[in-house]
Amino acid sequence: MSAIIEVSGVAKTFRQPKRLPGLGGAIRSLFSRDYTEVRAVQDVSFAIAPGEAVGYLGPNGAGKSTMIKMMTGILVPTAGSLSVLGREPHAHRMTNAAEIGVVFGQRSQLWWDLPVRDSFDLHRHIYEVPEARFADNLAFLTTMLGMADYLDRPVRQLSLGQRMRAEIAMALLHDPKILFLDEPTIGLDVVAKDAVRKFLAQINRERGTTIILTTHDLQDIEEICPRLIMVDDGKLLFDGELPRLRAALGSRRRLRLEFGSDPGPITLTTARLVTDDGAAKHFLLDAEDTSILDVLTELGSGYDLKDVTLEEPAIEEVIRTFYQSKPQRAAEAL
Amino acid sequence: MALVRTLAVIPHLVRMFVRTKLEYPGALVLSWVSQAVSYGSMYTAIALIVARFGTLGGWSWSEIALLLSFHLLAYSTGASFSFTQFRVMEDLVRQGTMDALLVKPISTWTYLVFSGFNIGYAGHVALAIGLMGWALTQVEVTWSFPLALYFIATLVSGAMVVCALMTMIGATAMVFVRSRHLYSIFFGFWELARYPITIFPLPIQVLLLTAVPLGFISTVPVSVILGKPVPMLGDFAGLACVLAGPAMAGLAMLHWRWCLRNYQGAGG
Repeated sequence: MSAIIEVSGVAKTFRQPKRLPGLGGAIRSLFSRDYTEVRAVQDVSFAIAPGEAVGYLGPNGAGKSTMIKMMTGILVPTAGSLSVLGREPHAHRMTNAAEIGVVFGQRSQLWWDLPVRDSFDLHRHIYEVPEARFADNLAFLTTMLGMADYLDRPVRQLSLGQRMRAEIAMALLHDPKILFLDEPTIGLDVVAKDAVRKFLAQINRERGTTIILTTHDLQDIEEICPRLIMVDDGKLLFDGELPRLRAALGSRRRLRLEFGSDPGPITLTTARLVTDDGAAKHFLLDAEDTSILDVLTELGSGYDLKDVTLEEPAIEEVIRTFYQSKPQRAAEAL
Repeated sequence: MALVRTLAVIPHLVRMFVRTKLEYPGALVLSWVSQAVSYGSMYTAIALIVARFGTLGGWSWSEIALLLSFHLLAYSTGASFSFTQFRVMEDLVRQGTMDALLVKPISTWTYLVFSGFNIGYAGHVALAIGLMGWALTQVEVTWSFPLALYFIATLVSGAMVVCALMTMIGATAMVFVRSRHLYSIFFGFWELARYPITIFPLPIQVLLLTAVPLGFISTVPVSVILGKPVPMLGDFAGLACVLAGPAMAGLAMLHWRWCLRNYQGAGG
């Protein structure tokens, strides 16, 4: 299937004035202005197929929002080529905007003093959504996101979770082909986060809406996005599925063996003991191809083994490991 | 296509803004009254000065009243489309709200202008029309249909000059993030434009007809209508009044586009 978004060698450089320290520096900068070039995005390439859900992940200042802004036509790339739905987004910003939906986690697009329904109605006119289609979408989104109770309340009276659900609903009212979300779960409580994640995963699965979201919350990636793009310092570090990332890092799975009574010290070649709680012992499986069977075979039958649990590494651990080892890993993982 | 879509949305944007304002009706009425009182007291002071000296730069009180009303009507019409909207541009840029406007499939300028179309200027407009009505009965003007049309055209042109200058100041925030200080310069010259420009030294006259062309929202059109000589422009003054607005609008459009292309956001 041909790509819906194609990013090839894209870079974005910002020119920022040098700030000199102290009052003297501030006065001097009035007369001689030096600039530094900040490379927010450097030579990034990827392609996204229709219907994909992609998490764009990276620490603060990694260039996530800049890339979203370039894909939505807000910013003009300094170098490289960028195509969204077959167009250059910045050159055809308004045409592009008609076919995408954008949600900014920290910037509202709703009218603060008016009921949510009024913002939706204006959205219908801006995007020229046929009345019947609008009514269907509104009914679907209201049910799915549980908005019926507050659709007629002014936005200023809504909680952050309610407002974010309304923002997401509004971004979907015109049936966009691509939904861009810039940190959609930031500041939400656990229940609201869960509702947003489940809804986005459903929209992607059932309606085939392509989703690209930036986030700091790894749970967002795990629940919504099978594919992960990781960036840091503006550079692409990893592009692939989460299991591939785990594999690339040498999946350090955790094995828990529970015995009827403390069997004493156990040493294995297939697994490394990390915690010994007597009857319960925790091992790390460093080798990717080690199976439970290998461990149990080496353990033998002389123990009163009650239970065996194998845990995949948590996504937080995988990402942390990746960033800690990024100079070595980046080249291997790409 | 985008143009048709943009034009069709304008009434809905205005309706939304009016509804927002009507959420706080007391504040709206209070702002109308306070504006009318503020301008009324200032005009009274000018009237007293003129009454003391008889004329100001060769202009009688009734002629100055026409100039003041023209200045206020052109300003308030232009500013209702632009001032409050573009005054907040640097906040929109700094807080990232501008990004949300740039992902709409209609013209960002149109969205900004009409989603903030300021009915709060009704106090200005009411005072200006009242004063203008009185002044027109006091001055000697031989009215004809073409002159009446010309009068309206120069008012519209003056309003366009105001809107264009506000747009340019606001747009500058897209590149330099902060541009609000430029409004101090605008309002400095705006205050000077309340008086016949002939009372000022030549450099100020030049500035009021070129870099900050607010002479075209008061002295120049009113001089043409009253048949008074216009410094520097002479016989070209009549045409210049009508062309000033569209010319400034064109310049503002180019500046807006340049700023939009060079928009960097404020980080994040």
